[in-house]
Amino acid sequence: MINPQPTRDQVEEFLYHEAELIDDWHLPEWAELYTDDARYDVTPLDCDDPINSSSKDSLFLLADDKERLTSRAKRLMKKTAHAEYPHSKVRHIIGNVRLGPNADGEIKVKANFVVYRTKDDNTSQYMGEAHYVLVPRDSGGFAIKSKRCILDLNSLADQGRLTIIL
Amino acid sequence: MSSVLTSPRKLVDIDSVHHRFRINREAYRSAEIFEKEKQLIFSKCWLYVGHTSEIPKKGDFVARTVGGGDLIFMRGRSGEVGAFFNSCTHRGTRVCREKRGTAKSFACPYHGWVYNTEGKLVSMNATNFVADINADGALDLRKVSRLEQYRGFYFVNYNPAAISLVDFLAGATEFLDSMCDQTEAELVVLPGEHSYSINANFKYLCENSYDGYHLLPVHVSYLEFLDDRLKAAGDQGAVNFIANLFTKQGRGRGLGNGHGALESWVPTGRPVASWIPPWGPEVKKEIEAKRTWLAQRFGKERADFISDVQKNLVIFPNLVINDNVGIIIRTIEPTSASSMRINSWALGPTDESAALRAIRLDNFVSFLGPSGFGSADDIEMLELCQRGIEHAPVEWNELSKGMNGAEDSRVEVCGPDDEGHMRAYWTQWDRMMRGAETLEAR
Repeated sequence: MINPQPTRDQVEEFLYHEAELIDDWHLPEWAELYTDDARYDVTPLDCDDPINSSSKDSLFLLADDKERLTSRAKRLMKKTAHAEYPHSKVRHIIGNVRLGPNADGEIKVKANFVVYRTKDDNTSQYMGEAHYVLVPRDSGGFAIKSKRCILDLNSLADQGRLTIIL
Repeated sequence: MSSVLTSPRKLVDIDSVHHRFRINREAYRSAEIFEKEKQLIFSKCWLYVGHTSEIPKKGDFVARTVGGGDLIFMRGRSGEVGAFFNSCTHRGTRVCREKRGTAKSFACPYHGWVYNTEGKLVSMNATNFVADINADGALDLRKVSRLEQYRGFYFVNYNPAAISLVDFLAGATEFLDSMCDQTEAELVVLPGEHSYSINANFKYLCENSYDGYHLLPVHVSYLEFLDDRLKAAGDQGAVNFIANLFTKQGRGRGLGNGHGALESWVPTGRPVASWIPPWGPEVKKEIEAKRTWLAQRFGKERADFISDVQKNLVIFPNLVINDNVGIIIRTIEPTSASSMRINSWALGPTDESAALRAIRLDNFVSFLGPSGFGSADDIEMLELCQRGIEHAPVEWNELSKGMNGAEDSRVEVCGPDDEGHMRAYWTQWDRMMRGAETLEAR
C-alpha cells in the first residue's frame, strides 16, 4: 500500500499526542507508540555530528531500543524509581515541525522542543531538536520508528540529570 | 546553605573499642571545611587529568577543570605531554576556549601573546618590551608542578614536593593493572562524555560509588529490569541472585592512602570476560576466547578475578574507576561544600569487535550516567542526604557497618556490603585535614 504524504497537521497532531502522554505520565501508553524495532536516543552533548553518530561506538546519554524504552516507561511508574518519585511536573512545547520526503513508507520529521521539568522547587529546561522517523499504522495514525533528540546543551550542569522522557 | 564552623573538636570519631566510626556532618556541609580541603587535600593529592588516548597526536589537547584549576592537558609538538594553567601570563585571559582540538599554538585573544604547545611564550605581538623580559621563563604558560602517568592515566599534583604518583596510588595499582591487562592492544577513551552535576557534597558520591549496602534498596528497579532481561533469555534472574548471594562473596578493601575498592558479583555481564544470555550468541565466542587468553597469560585465578569480579575503585580524593558493567572513569569536582560537577567516560580495548563494543556501551548507559536506570537514583539519594544534613540537629553520620577492629583502617578488609573501604577513605581524609599526613616525599 502506498501511503500518501501526510499533512503537517496530521504529524503535528501525533507529536502533540506523544507529548501529552509524556507530560501526563501515561508512560506505558507512550511506549506503545513505538515500533518493535524502534530507537529512542539522546545523543552525546559533546558530539561533532549528532545526526549521524551511533550509540554503537559513542557514549550516548540515553540509547534505548524498544525493550529498554518499554522498561524505562515501566520503571518510571514505580515508586522505586527514586529519581522521579514523586513524579516531576513535565511540560513539552513543540514547534518548527517540518516534514522530509516520504520514502519507503517512512516519514522523516524534524521538530524543535523545549521541555520543562519541575522537581520540588526547581525548574530546569531541556531544549533541542528531535529527529523522527514515523511509519503509518494500519489502524490509522503513526508509529515511531526512531526518535533522536539532540539537546542544545554542553552539559547537564544546570539540569543535573535527565530522568524524564524528552 | 552552608553552616559556619569555628574550630571543630573532631571531624572523624573512631571508637575502636565499641566499633563505632562516625563522621561529623560539618565535613559534608561546612564552607570553612571545604576551603581547608582545597588547601590540605586537593593541593596535595594526585588528581586525574586525562587519559593518553584522549590526546593521541602531537598538538592534541583537552581543556579540563581539575581540583579548581582550569587546565590544558596537551601533547606538545615535541611529543611531550604537559598540563598548563589556562591563563595568559600577561593579564590572565583564558587562552584556550575550546574543549578539545589540535593546536599549533595558543594565541591569547586579548593582546595577541602566543604560546607554543610546550607552553613557551613565542610572541608578545609587540617590539618595545625589554629583550630579556622572559629570560627566566616566568611568562611562559604556567605548568602544573607535577604531571605523571600510570599505564596511560595522567594525574597532576599542585604540590612540587609530593610523593610520586605510583607511591600515591599504593594498592590501587592492582586494580588499574587488572583493568589494563584485559587487552594486549590499547585501552582507549570512547567518544561521548557524561557531564552533569549533583547538589551534594562530593564525598557523598565517593561513598556511594563503592557502597554495596545500598544496592538492593536503591537499585531494585534496575535489578528488576535486569531480572526481566535475564529471564527472557532463559537465565536465572538478578533479584534473587543479589538477595541471596551478594553478601556472601566479594569484599571491601582499603588500599592505602585513602583509596579503596569493592569487589562484588552482580550478574550484569562484563565485556571482559563474562557473557550473559541476553547478549546473544554472536559475541559469546569472542568473550570466551578472551577469557581463555587471559587464563593462558595470567593463570586461572587471575583470569577469573579479571573476568568475573565487579570492581568499584575510589582513588582518593575524587576519582572513581569502575570496572564493572564496562569501564567507567568518573571525576568528581567539588564546586562548593554542597555541590559537585561530574564528568565520566567509557573506556574500551581497541581489539574488541564492533558487536562487543556496542554491547559495552549499551551496558554502560543502561545503568550509568544521568539517564541510567542506576546512577539517576543514586544522585537522588545523595541530594536527599544533603538536604537532610543541612537542617537536622544530628551531629554525626554513621560508617560503622562491619567494623572489625582492624589495626589500620586505611587497609581494612570487610564484607561487600560493609563500610570498611569508606573508613579507609575517611581515615586518610582526617589525617590530611589534621596535617598529620601531607603525602610529601621525606
